[in-house]
Amino acid sequence: MGKKFLRFEFLLLFAVFIIATCGLIYELVAGTLASYLLGDSVKQFSFIIGVYLFSMGIGSFFSKFFHKNLLNTFVEIEILVGLIGGLSSVVLFLLFESVASFQFILYLFVFVTGFLVGLEIPLLMNILKDRVEFKDLVSNVFTFDYIGALLASILFPLVLVPKLGIMGTSLFFGMINVSIAIVLCFLLKNELKKPYFLRVKALFSFLVLLTVFVFSDSILAYSEGKLYGENIIYTNTTPYQRIVLTHNKSDYRLYLNNNLQFSSADEYRYHEALVHPAMSIAKNIKNVLVLGGGDGLAVREILKYKEVQKVILVDLDEGMTKLFKTNTVLKGFNKNALNNPKVTVINTDAYIWAKSCKEKFDVVIIDFPDPSNYSLGKLYSLNFYQTIKTILQPDAAVVIQTTSPYFAPKSFWCINKTVMQVFPQVDAYHAYVPSFGEWGYTIAINGFGTTFNDVKRQVQGLKFYNYQFDRFNYFTNDMISNQIEINRLDNQILVRYFDEEWGKLQ
Amino acid sequence: MIRLSGTNHLLGHRLWIKDFPKPTAQIQIPYLIIGGGISGLSAARQFHKKGISDFLLLEMADHLGGNSSNGQNKYSKYPLGAHYLPLPNFEDKELLHFLEEEKIILGYNEKGLPVFDELQLTFAPDERLFYKNNWQDGVVPKEGNSVEDDKEFIRFFKEMDAFRTAKGVDLKYLFDLPIRLSSADKSTRDLDKITMKKWFENNNFRSKPLFNYIDYCCKDDFGLGIEFVSAWAGIHYFAGRKQDSVTDKNESVLTWPEGNARLASHLKKYTEKKTLKNHLVYEVKVENNKVVAKAFDDVKKVSIEIIAEKVIMATPQFVNQYLIKNRKEFTKAFHYTPWLLATLTVNDLPDNFSFPLSWDNVIYDAKGLGYVYAQHQTLNQVQEKKVITYYYSFSSGDLKKTRKEIYKKDKEYWKQVVFDDLKIAHPDIEEYTEEMEVFILGHGMISPVPDFIFGKAKENAAKNIENRIFFAHTDLSGISIFEEAFHQGINAVNQILNDAALDS
Repeated sequence: MGKKFLRFEFLLLFAVFIIATCGLIYELVAGTLASYLLGDSVKQFSFIIGVYLFSMGIGSFFSKFFHKNLLNTFVEIEILVGLIGGLSSVVLFLLFESVASFQFILYLFVFVTGFLVGLEIPLLMNILKDRVEFKDLVSNVFTFDYIGALLASILFPLVLVPKLGIMGTSLFFGMINVSIAIVLCFLLKNELKKPYFLRVKALFSFLVLLTVFVFSDSILAYSEGKLYGENIIYTNTTPYQRIVLTHNKSDYRLYLNNNLQFSSADEYRYHEALVHPAMSIAKNIKNVLVLGGGDGLAVREILKYKEVQKVILVDLDEGMTKLFKTNTVLKGFNKNALNNPKVTVINTDAYIWAKSCKEKFDVVIIDFPDPSNYSLGKLYSLNFYQTIKTILQPDAAVVIQTTSPYFAPKSFWCINKTVMQVFPQVDAYHAYVPSFGEWGYTIAINGFGTTFNDVKRQVQGLKFYNYQFDRFNYFTNDMISNQIEINRLDNQILVRYFDEEWGKLQ
Repeated sequence: MIRLSGTNHLLGHRLWIKDFPKPTAQIQIPYLIIGGGISGLSAARQFHKKGISDFLLLEMADHLGGNSSNGQNKYSKYPLGAHYLPLPNFEDKELLHFLEEEKIILGYNEKGLPVFDELQLTFAPDERLFYKNNWQDGVVPKEGNSVEDDKEFIRFFKEMDAFRTAKGVDLKYLFDLPIRLSSADKSTRDLDKITMKKWFENNNFRSKPLFNYIDYCCKDDFGLGIEFVSAWAGIHYFAGRKQDSVTDKNESVLTWPEGNARLASHLKKYTEKKTLKNHLVYEVKVENNKVVAKAFDDVKKVSIEIIAEKVIMATPQFVNQYLIKNRKEFTKAFHYTPWLLATLTVNDLPDNFSFPLSWDNVIYDAKGLGYVYAQHQTLNQVQEKKVITYYYSFSSGDLKKTRKEIYKKDKEYWKQVVFDDLKIAHPDIEEYTEEMEVFILGHGMISPVPDFIFGKAKENAAKNIENRIFFAHTDLSGISIFEEAFHQGINAVNQILNDAALDS
């Protein structure tokens, strides 16, 4: 007893304090990461706290099976917690995009960390039980445990995340965790069996964590890139959306709010299928309107027809159209279409613009984002199509991108049925776009003066569309849905269908 | 920035002392309408329909519309009172005609049912409720109820459905719109003798969420909560509207960014060049077989005298008691609930994203009735700023006392009341608020306390005087809603014209 023992007890209690702090930090890191990557913070945090506490319980339960070399086990667990907890955020970041069962790995990490932390306290009490009076032991151990937890939960949001980032925080605490093990190895060398072996393990783990910590910035950059799977070459946040352009070998991809807008490798399929059926069957094509489609790729296809005299493109986001007018790479994609003298770009709300438009068009190409919220849903409503009808010439053709008939058949046919309420001739067709999957369109004619198979004009050199419309309007059973309601502003049923269908895929 | 305004109670209060100058001019007109709210405007429309154009309308305020008025800022119009019209009952042909005239009904479908203009029906999502820390679809508490609560909700709605379709021995609906078409069935009318709370207890309802929901509904239509409102009126909220003019979405309503000011503006066209605004009528009496009305012009600060054959008092009874002799006795039974409306212009309206911003946004167990998002009914993708209007009704057992207390408070006080209530769902709303306009309606709407709707006072107040002075106001119906005001105006004109066939 005496001085030497005091140091022994103090050291171990200090270890408890550090373990509690680190344990809670790992838990907070997991919760933050999960809500950051998966969304729904309330759910993620509450599941993670639950799993963590539960696995601590399991750890405590299993502690009774350790009988020998308790102190050695204690130090080893300390090293293990530091290593696993410290590296957890790095691994989770890197695996997010590539592993389907990300959630499983996430909870596995939480479980293992919780389990190990749960082992430690009973273990420690066993080590100390013969040396300290039980009453003091319990009160001291838990006091340090809870103080550590408080410290962690205060430091985490206020200091650690802002200063070190999520990855840095977990690595930093991993190192602290392992440092305690190192200190114990040196100071308690007489109490430990084979302290040399433990020391090597602890120092090695520390070095691993330190190395990753030093490189954490570049890992983060890499993993953000991984989220897209490609190198990010351009990002821009406009008032309406976040534009990200990525590059991988010869393929460029444009993402709007993290949704793939096009891939340069196969966008010709999407845009040829969008533009040429309508352009080839409309009675006239002098005056063409494009709604949405600020990338100018549809306009590029339209301008292939020499009869076209005027194209108006209405897109809400000036940032987007400006980018596709000025950026060299992007101008290359749309063949500088947006700077063509025939083309007028108007940056305003398409619905409002159409309501007050006095002009009449021969062809209207509608290329809006999918109806993923109630604002966008308005652009697929009965009233919207009735509004479009008022700005059409007789026998004008209208085509609408209508999401995937394979992934979202209800949404697809809901738009089709809504359009049917307004126009005398309506059909649907689809095309396979590898980067999107099976993609679909609704096409309509404002009159009976032409049909979908009446090809009035063609351009040469298309890679995908062959002007045989009836090769594209056949739908297999897995792309058909019945009992669909019409989408109106006052029911916005389409947004509900869309959420139901795409929501379940995520 | 915060502004405080309200109905012109200072001008109105001059009726107590009547310190107006002597009339210096005289107008002769066959028909005079006093009051430019919906009742008065509807009377003007009815005169027009009957081919009568020699009428004059006097209004105290600088605009027409009464409780169906609106404000406007840089970003949006917004309501300063009533803000929606539920889908009309199919039997209410007068109202259907009006909606047709104004292209709110675009035609009739193959089943003979009206087709409403998509742009004037509430856009989806129409309602959400902040309940148990989450926004949920609709205003009926659902997610988080106990099994017992759910059972009571089902039983309650079943009973309301039964009331909605039930008819008395006189073959009239037990609850109809306008109210005067309702059955005289005694046991049903007895419901007017008790409060809605008493009915709730008598029928063995216990559920707190159900209680709160009914309380919300009563305040929404009557200003008075479940504790003070008559059970007949409370049930009428659920059973009076037959939901029979459309086949789906039958709880939908018609609404506009400016609220019912849109309906008022449709009616205003019938009063063009026939209206004197800023004119406070301070005396009305029958003299030598004519009606003599005196009015004070609040702009020129002079009084005028109008000599008319017939007058329609489209003014509330608490005003009429100062204009016409011997009315104070039965006016005592008329109680009016004060309302507060606060329109906030916010940079953003973040919440916990559990359900998207809707047209009507109700906060469970809050003091107020939640808020209406004015721009919900616009076609734009994005709004630079959002404009929301918060509603608060001063439900109490002593409305007079409450009203006095309201006028003692300053704008800072009301600002805090509004923020505190909205913070339940939007904790950081104060940071995002750029502007708040608080609008107080001292006598917001008639309160159907027990024994009022079928009471003597109301019946007496509605009787014409010497076949010269006629009365048209929702306080004579007992509930303050557009449909009642609309029919009050029509009926007054029909009575004047001795129209044998009353409307509807």
